[in-house]
Amino acid sequence: MSEEKRQVASPENTDAKTDETHLTNAELELLADELGSSGGEVKRIGYFSLIGRRFVRQRSAMVGLVILIILIILAIFGPYMTPFTYTDPDFTALNVPPNATHWFGTDGGGFDLFASVVHGLGRSLAIGIIYSVLTTIIAAIVGTSIAYVRGVPEKIGMWFLDMLLIIPSFLLVAMVVRASSGTEGWWMLIVGLTAFGWIGYARTLRTMALSLRERDYVRAAKYMGVSPIKTIIRHLIPNLGSILILDTVLGVIGGINSETAYSFLGLGIKAPDTSLGYLLSQGSSAMLSAPWVILIPSIVLIVLCVSMQLIGDGLRDAIDPYSRAAGTVEDDAEEDAATTETAKA
Amino acid sequence: MARFVGYVVKRVLNYIVMIFVATSLTYFLASAFMSPRSNYESRTPRPPQESIEWALDAANLNDKTPIMERYQKWIGDILTKGDFGKTPTGASVNHEISSRIGASVQLMLLATIISIVVGVSLGVYTAQRQYQWQDRFWSGVASLFMVIPTVVLAILIVFFAIEVNTATGTRIFYVTGLSSYSGSNFFIGLLDFLQHILLPTIVLTIISAVGYHLGQRTYLLNEMHADYVRTARAKGLTKKQAIRKHALRASLIPTAVSVAFSIAGIFTGAVMTEKIFAIHGLGEYFINCINNNNIHGAVAVAAFSGACTLVGALLADLFAAALDPRIKMS
Repeated sequence: MSEEKRQVASPENTDAKTDETHLTNAELELLADELGSSGGEVKRIGYFSLIGRRFVRQRSAMVGLVILIILIILAIFGPYMTPFTYTDPDFTALNVPPNATHWFGTDGGGFDLFASVVHGLGRSLAIGIIYSVLTTIIAAIVGTSIAYVRGVPEKIGMWFLDMLLIIPSFLLVAMVVRASSGTEGWWMLIVGLTAFGWIGYARTLRTMALSLRERDYVRAAKYMGVSPIKTIIRHLIPNLGSILILDTVLGVIGGINSETAYSFLGLGIKAPDTSLGYLLSQGSSAMLSAPWVILIPSIVLIVLCVSMQLIGDGLRDAIDPYSRAAGTVEDDAEEDAATTETAKA
Repeated sequence: MARFVGYVVKRVLNYIVMIFVATSLTYFLASAFMSPRSNYESRTPRPPQESIEWALDAANLNDKTPIMERYQKWIGDILTKGDFGKTPTGASVNHEISSRIGASVQLMLLATIISIVVGVSLGVYTAQRQYQWQDRFWSGVASLFMVIPTVVLAILIVFFAIEVNTATGTRIFYVTGLSSYSGSNFFIGLLDFLQHILLPTIVLTIISAVGYHLGQRTYLLNEMHADYVRTARAKGLTKKQAIRKHALRASLIPTAVSVAFSIAGIFTGAVMTEKIFAIHGLGEYFINCINNNNIHGAVAVAAFSGACTLVGALLADLFAAALDPRIKMS
């Protein structure tokens, strides 16, 4: 690696604030190839490893990812870190502030808040992720199918989507979930949210698929006798891939927000189960005497949502070849240098 | 003009059919999932069987009557008398809804106006300073507020308001209801109203201003790089003039569309905010309906908000047609 070439990359690193020194992702790739120590040879990498490389370059996205991983670890192993559970109250400690025994304190019923929060965090994550993945799958299939069929069926499909959109999904979800019991409630919440959460999204994806359906490979598939279902699954949906992944990540935030809202209103997750939204509704009645009962779940929710947002933003910048927010290639170059050095040795 | 009227009429007819189908669907779903009978059966002491049946029959909510029969009577009353039915306790849904719309409008009107003004001007301000610190700061704030759940935002604001109240020893902020003053002095009444409405307005403004801000910023940035703006610059306009006279106007079209939808939202209220601040508007009524097995009430609110959404959609079409010279009615 020559000293001269290093200087090419350094200005944008030190002076990242002004517009002119920001490079687009595509330009960064060229720079990375130039910096690469493989002697002018262009390194070929697959699309997803390219996206991965651009993602890793961004500091804020990595911070988000690290926070999310910490939260997931907390949700999985948290219940084993404390002797208390979210179902068994400790009657010797009612409404105590955070201390050595009860790390996050207890609420008015003597329930350990740490145990409740880690359990609720797990619930929120599970609901958010499952909801988001399911709605993306349904919306992708319905949206692209409606675009693919054209003509009268397309019109009918769009009419139904519009019609479903004007019913307040809040009512429908609340009705479905309210009828369920306390322990099964979170599954019903996922079912309810998913059943009515895909509609608007399917409309958006249909609009995006409108240009895809005009492509030659779709026409070729059609005249080669490939069945419509196969064409949709093999050609239309994969070509929306990056948008689908991005929306899945951002959809998790939507799922978490909905869970919080429904549970807070007493229409979602109910006792004996617990979730972050349920904890908030419990805490809001004792805001003055036990502020930690609302503050701690609030902070956990904010951190969770912000980490997902950072990851989503990072992913968006990584997918967009014209984005200028994708960091620097210096790390890549160093990485390359390190690998070639070890290879030489 | 005749073509324009024809277009609007066709649209409105389509929307009416949509509302009809959607409302009927909601009615059947609500009847399947809600059980007004349990309202009476869970009472202690349990009322005699005949009086339960009688009360349910009187409200047209008896699940022993075939669903189609109930549906016919219900839809007939709406179409002929505009009567949306009765609650399980026998009260009129029309009356309950009309008494609550006022509170929702009071709450939403102010918040909607402020959020449009704040959101759009922030969007224009930050778009002109893309990648500068002002843009980074405000966009950061916006994306933070965008992901915070509404409940958390509202609760934290209430929490800090109460802290301020206890710290100062006077009630500066009221966190429940819309008014508590019953005297006749207009100015004290107004002050009292403002003290009540301030916090919910802040919450609602933050929630919706964020959307306008980020949207307007994106639209204006898209337009700023369009060819016609470059032409205007090449002809000697300053950057500011080019933006104000050309780019801004085009970028306001998509914003106007979302404004149209929010005008309709004024009447349906805000579920979470009304619940947290104990404002007796339509949003709170909606939750109460679901909790009290009030089938007719819930369906009526759903139908009303559906109608508002479609009025918004129609307004959006008209706004876009008025602002965008390229759109032709077809």
